[in-house]
Amino acid sequence: MKKLIIARKFSQILFLGLFVYIVWSTTYPLNSIISPKVLFKLDPLIMFFTAISVRQCIEGIVLSILVAIFALIFGRYFCGWICPVGTSVDIAAMVNKRNLILSDGLNNNVKKPKYYILFIVSFLAILGFQAAWILDPIVIFARFLSLSFIPGATFVIDKTFIFAIKNFELYGGFYDFYRSLNDNLLGIKIQFFVNSGISLSIFLAIVLIPIIIPRLWCRTLCPLGALFGIFSKISVFKRAVEKCTDCKNCYNICRMQAINKDLSYIKSECVLCMDCVYSCPTKGTSFKFDYKNKLVNTGKGKGTISRRDFLFLLLISLPSLGFSNKNDKKFSYKAIEVIRPPGVKNEELFLKTCVRCGNCMKVCITNGLQPTLLKSGVEGLWTPQLVPEIGYCEYNCTLCGEVCPTKAIPELRSAQKKKEKLGLAIIDESICFPHSQNKQCIVCEEHCPISDKAIKLKNKITAEGEMIMLPYVDKDLCVGCGICQNKCPARPGRAIKVKGKL
Amino acid sequence: MESELKMNNLLYKLETYLKRTVSRREFMKIIIGGLVYFLSENQFLKFAFAKNSDAKPRAKKSIACEHDLVAVKGSKSGKNVEKAIELLGGIDKFVKKGDVVLVKPNMAWDRSPEQAANTDPEVVATIVELCYKAGAKRVNIFDVPCNDDRRVYENSGIQKAAEEKGAKVYFADHWNVLKAKFPYKSAMEDWPIIRDAVVCDTFINVPVLKHHGLTGLTLSMKNLMGVCSGTRGFIHIDIAKKLVDLTDFINPDLTIIDATRVLTKNGPSGGNLKDVIKLDTVIASTDPTLADTYACKLMKKDPMSVPYLKEAAARKFGNSNLEKSDIKELSI
Repeated sequence: MKKLIIARKFSQILFLGLFVYIVWSTTYPLNSIISPKVLFKLDPLIMFFTAISVRQCIEGIVLSILVAIFALIFGRYFCGWICPVGTSVDIAAMVNKRNLILSDGLNNNVKKPKYYILFIVSFLAILGFQAAWILDPIVIFARFLSLSFIPGATFVIDKTFIFAIKNFELYGGFYDFYRSLNDNLLGIKIQFFVNSGISLSIFLAIVLIPIIIPRLWCRTLCPLGALFGIFSKISVFKRAVEKCTDCKNCYNICRMQAINKDLSYIKSECVLCMDCVYSCPTKGTSFKFDYKNKLVNTGKGKGTISRRDFLFLLLISLPSLGFSNKNDKKFSYKAIEVIRPPGVKNEELFLKTCVRCGNCMKVCITNGLQPTLLKSGVEGLWTPQLVPEIGYCEYNCTLCGEVCPTKAIPELRSAQKKKEKLGLAIIDESICFPHSQNKQCIVCEEHCPISDKAIKLKNKITAEGEMIMLPYVDKDLCVGCGICQNKCPARPGRAIKVKGKL
Repeated sequence: MESELKMNNLLYKLETYLKRTVSRREFMKIIIGGLVYFLSENQFLKFAFAKNSDAKPRAKKSIACEHDLVAVKGSKSGKNVEKAIELLGGIDKFVKKGDVVLVKPNMAWDRSPEQAANTDPEVVATIVELCYKAGAKRVNIFDVPCNDDRRVYENSGIQKAAEEKGAKVYFADHWNVLKAKFPYKSAMEDWPIIRDAVVCDTFINVPVLKHHGLTGLTLSMKNLMGVCSGTRGFIHIDIAKKLVDLTDFINPDLTIIDATRVLTKNGPSGGNLKDVIKLDTVIASTDPTLADTYACKLMKKDPMSVPYLKEAAARKFGNSNLEKSDIKELSI
């Protein structure tokens, strides 16, 4: 019985399932058992470096400190037992049973880049620029689920049902079943996200490349793994080999290649997958608590970076200083192109705090929050923006603030949120039906959610003697929710457009 | 003789053409050509997704009622509805045993019942209860809201109230539509209409009386916009003709206008409680034009100032003459 391996696999599947469940239930009534914020509050990389870059203690950072303390005892347990990306990588690697083993020298170099990345991230955080999100596995996985996997899966299921219902005319009980399925599981609206293909390809690259070289992502690039690797330097839960016949089974089976060819053990690479324990023919391998460094055959291989590497890193991270240039005019120009979610006041602070997890986009009730690619600069990659033509900001809804793990989007009460200005609607009189073609329309005025109407009407008498109503925007009342742009019947360009606040 | 020869000649040519050996290149041409035709015409998709997608107008039921229109005033809206339907001749006249009934309230806005942007939940619940009493097989309730469906259904209070009485309240599926085909020329031709609105035995229209920026008042005809899919903003352009056509297409069997709370300003969404007045009235009629005209009178508004009522009067659609109709008013 491989008890420990079964326990590990159970834990991996459990946490993967939990992860998918939490992201899946990040939708309108928000009645999941676990808050969607918790996922990211567990992640020390995100929480620590966001806190450092904004110089503020973030609510819930205790959870990530707890995870880090466990890492001080158990090393990289998170990578092997919890991390959903690690689990996906392991599942994908089941296709190929034969490990491609790198030479010790190459292996030593392959494991370095993650420390470089971690170093750059911490360097930028100290300078006040948050870059932890770029390669954080939790964020990448959550974004993949929110932007690509869940919309894609629901789309396929929904279209299959629609095909069956329409083709075989199943308008009876089957249709009711479809409706209840939509209400409870799939969501009544299939979400769509621009650039979702990119988040899908990033995830596929992470998961599929390790089919050839197992856990390549975790060994090479993952900055969260690097952080846990550094913590594991002083961890006390270690691998102990009591009786060795030099069979090299553990060397061949280790997915992280944490065992060198001379069978020395690199603690900072070990994810405690427990494979070596059961592959040992003498059953002499085990994991034990070792407080006084008594165990032999451990920690011989190099884990973290050398002094030369450190100096090299210092040199290459100097150009990144350019990112934090606050007086860049381009910066502020780019920021106004996009409409940020309600409550975001300071674009710079928003870019620092936002971890690009995609929670707000997943939860957005109208699907209006979409990821930006380069529209707000490189710094704004994957940040949310409101695209009114896809969906508007629902007047009474405060969901995006409720799910933001780092409060980049502040959590506002309904009454407060209604006063938040996202932008300003501007009417293009050359397209607007009443202005340009003397046709009655005022769809925008009808939909305006503000009780005193931010879109007001003035009467005009046309040459034919008909009275028509012309809409105009009251700049003080308009909050820029974008429902007018969303519902405007003018095509292809809408006659009323919301511009981000200046 | 000569023509016969020509014919034979032609047949012979055809036969040789069909029996010729097809070269590989020619074969590929035929296959590719066929594929291009198949895909360009989207035959498969048409077959799969466009089955029976045309709809004829709903048949007009001739229901002889005791009055043309009934208006009941009272403090409880549920009681008002019961009394109004009873005075019209009872619900049995409209709902037969085993019928599938569609109750179409106005639930378009993410507002609470007090803000009067949506139909009073109690009115809807009472109608559902009456329908089931009359032996309806199933009572459907849906609307195509302007705000998000889930928030609207919940905050309007209609979903909860109607489901308690056993109605099926569901979200309208925009793929499940039929194209409206009119016997006359109409701007609404081919407009997608939610299927359940057309294939039901009884259609009960339950609008709320409120202000509207474009038409002055939102009434039963305007409420029927809620069964339309597509980009509904286009209906606003030349709204009068389109709404009368739509009403003619849907032919609601019974119109019950809820004037319990009335939004008098900043409609149709409202949101300010100061704009709401209480009229505590329910209007019931089989004729949507008559019901709307009476509602205008209730709001002290000239019916001819409402564009679609003007259009209806001009086309002699329904009865827009209040003086010549049998109207029963009651206060309880």
